Amino acid sequence: MADTFILWLLLVAAGGFTWWRFYRLLRPMKRAARAARFDQPLRRLAGVARALGLHERLLKIRYSGILHAMIFVSFIALTTSIVESFGSVLFPGFSLGPIGGTTWIALLQDIFALVMLAGVVLAAFQRYVLRPARFRGSNAIDATIIYVLIVTIVVSMIFEATFGILAGKAGADWRPVSHALAYALSPLRLSGEQAATAVTVFYWLHVTSILAFLIYIPGSKHRHMFLAAPNIYFRSLKPKGMLPRAAPDKPPAPVASVEQFTWKDMLDAYACTECGRCQAACPAYAAGLPLSPKLLITDIRDHLIDAGDTPLIGGVIREETLWACTTCHACMEACPVHIEHVPKIVDMRRYLVEEGKIAPMLQEALSNLQRTGNSMGSATRMRARWTKGLPFKIKDARKEPVDILWFVGDFASYDPRVQDVTRKVAMLLNEADVDFGILYEAEQNSGNDVHRVGEEGLFEMLALRNIETISGCSFNRIMTTDPHSLNALAQEYRAFGAVYEVMHYASFLLELIETGRLKLKAEARGKVTYHDPCYLGRYNGGFDAPRALIERAGYRLAEMPRCRENSFCCGAGGGQIWSDDSGVEERPSENRIKEALSLEGARYFVVSCPKDKVMYAAAVQSLGAEDAIEVVDLADLIARALAH
Amino acid sequence: MHIAVIIRLVPHTDSELEISDDGTDIDREWIDTKLNEFDDHALEEAILLKEIVGARVTALAVDTEGADRLLQTAIARGADEAHKISMPADVALCSRTMTLPVAAAVQKLGAELVLTGVQTPHDIYGQLAPYLGGALDWPQASAVSGIGADNDGILVQQELSGGVSTTLRLALPAVVGVQTASQPIRYVAGSKLRQAMSAEIGTLDTGAEPLEIGVKPTGLIASTAAGDVEMLNGGADAVAAKIHALLSERGLLRGERQ
Repeated sequence: MADTFILWLLLVAAGGFTWWRFYRLLRPMKRAARAARFDQPLRRLAGVARALGLHERLLKIRYSGILHAMIFVSFIALTTSIVESFGSVLFPGFSLGPIGGTTWIALLQDIFALVMLAGVVLAAFQRYVLRPARFRGSNAIDATIIYVLIVTIVVSMIFEATFGILAGKAGADWRPVSHALAYALSPLRLSGEQAATAVTVFYWLHVTSILAFLIYIPGSKHRHMFLAAPNIYFRSLKPKGMLPRAAPDKPPAPVASVEQFTWKDMLDAYACTECGRCQAACPAYAAGLPLSPKLLITDIRDHLIDAGDTPLIGGVIREETLWACTTCHACMEACPVHIEHVPKIVDMRRYLVEEGKIAPMLQEALSNLQRTGNSMGSATRMRARWTKGLPFKIKDARKEPVDILWFVGDFASYDPRVQDVTRKVAMLLNEADVDFGILYEAEQNSGNDVHRVGEEGLFEMLALRNIETISGCSFNRIMTTDPHSLNALAQEYRAFGAVYEVMHYASFLLELIETGRLKLKAEARGKVTYHDPCYLGRYNGGFDAPRALIERAGYRLAEMPRCRENSFCCGAGGGQIWSDDSGVEERPSENRIKEALSLEGARYFVVSCPKDKVMYAAAVQSLGAEDAIEVVDLADLIARALAH
Repeated sequence: MHIAVIIRLVPHTDSELEISDDGTDIDREWIDTKLNEFDDHALEEAILLKEIVGARVTALAVDTEGADRLLQTAIARGADEAHKISMPADVALCSRTMTLPVAAAVQKLGAELVLTGVQTPHDIYGQLAPYLGGALDWPQASAVSGIGADNDGILVQQELSGGVSTTLRLALPAVVGVQTASQPIRYVAGSKLRQAMSAEIGTLDTGAEPLEIGVKPTGLIASTAAGDVEMLNGGADAVAAKIHALLSERGLLRGERQ
């Protein structure tokens, strides 16, 4: 009876204390901004089941994925032991015996105790010996405390069973591990009484270490045991390329202080496991810039817990940190608990923009965009100048109906390094007899990166101007040569009620080849590699069409280690193309070219984004690798492979 | 203090300038216009003065195509009000013809300090500020790169040749041609710009007759490119060697042993 009373007392005290710790921690969420994440419960649940059940994202790093699976599954199996330990004393007479507590459940407990210990050993080996760079900045002491607690819980459980066998209280048939241990301890020749005392000692060690674990969790990254599933459940179901927006007519508000975040942003921060996969994937971090997506989230978390006197922006999080992000989405793709890093960065950038706290180069680009609708500040009337020199005249889609409305994009229109590719695309469309037109000087920057810089007002101006122009045209589909424009037109303009069928030129060229409108000469032409642009690949799933085109053109594709979803950003996205290189130790574009150079014999570095052409041509030049690799556009490959 | 800032739209010189058929002007039909860069600084300096000494700022522009948007931008930047100034339609716009209508508008508004850009691509000699000073019979200073104010008037930093600058005291009312503002031009977020786009811009009808133009252009000639640009390609060492060779070839290396 005394045991029952003491355990109740301990349980209520520990439970109450844990609840209080959680309450204090999560309290800011009560007053946080709203986030609409309650729709489609089944789809949300299915996502949670997949994430937990298949460990898809975790297994992308196989070693840690496997050890996590071992610990995760063992935890579930060992819950039975927790239920039994507490149940049998809290409610005298309670036992799992009738459903197999002494048979198959006992067996499971014995086996998974070993699996758990093996998982912890692997985890400790990783943390202390392998020491992957992604753990840099994570709390190692926290992890150590957790290892010690887990080992205590599991070992005490096993010894309780072992001494139970020695005391003649428990059967040994279904407990191979405990049985073996009991056999090993038999030379001690313990009396029944001594063994029973040991059972009691290990029982209390077991339950108190479980309660200690419980109390410890709210202050530890192991909160994710409770918060990962909810965080995955409340993940964004919107298209990846659509920044969150409270309502169609309500522009997102800037975030100046931590309480202005939504409750989901806060949940993200609490759910972070500090695994550092985001940090390992981040091009800004790799470049030596002061941004680690992991530390950004943990800084927000620590600031939520204890705000102190430091302001969020410019204090806890440096302005340079916010401006370093390329919005490439690699962090969000890597995060096992589906934390949304990029929208938070954009929310905070909005505050800096409203305050006019922006770097001179960015200010110039944005002022140019306000004035001329392009970041270079070139005259609007010069936008279609690239068409000069074409042997045919491109239709003005504002004046006559067309089948394909070609949204060319700023870089493809204005940058002399890209105009040649733009003309090639025009030639290919003409060759295939496509009825197409452009918007001439009425086209404006799509606003994709303006949006991500945090310039919401300017983004809306650009978007509304484009939508107005497009609404005056008669066409069937939109094609664009620019993945950033693709994302804005296909995903972001929906917020203003403008829904278009938009395709990247890779898809359209492939369609032209497959329907026989473009005829290519079948000929083997050698090995190339291909770079997935963030806004075509990760954001819009356009992985296959460019690869199919490369193959159709007769080239063999050698994939870089970081390809498709794991592609490495060129460093130009999210407004970075309007910033200088200050603080960069290694340009992401050069890092990427080195990756391509490590492939044997890839002659061409194939791109499908005008910004990539600019970024990588410069990187090849600055690495002095012109003789080893050449940056070419998909359109170049197709033009060379034409049948005539 | 009430400050009137005169802002002007000028041709975007990145445009391909073409000469009109009569050969005396550029063809304005196909070129973009933008806020004159020096006027931008004048506006910034006015807003800075407003922030420091609490002035009222009125932006003024001659009523031409694009004037509304130009003045709305000024409001987004922090101007308290903005007006267009009407001009007879058949008058060619230049510093001289603008002078009397602008001066009349300034007087009508009761402004005590007029700021405008020191020059424009049209008026590289910077005539508007001196013309206005003359028409209003107010003291005037040009090539100013910063204005302060105290009880006795304003203090202006004026740039002279050879990196020397001087501080002048001007009693108000006065006219100043601004070269640069004392701080970089601030960024105005698109949200503020959008808000200002709905501002109604009224027209001030001063009834002032413009001055006659005494000098008329007889012909305009486009300058021709003098030489080609050669891009140096290759690795850093190769490029450095080429630069060295070019400099050496032109005898620009000192103390080099042959």
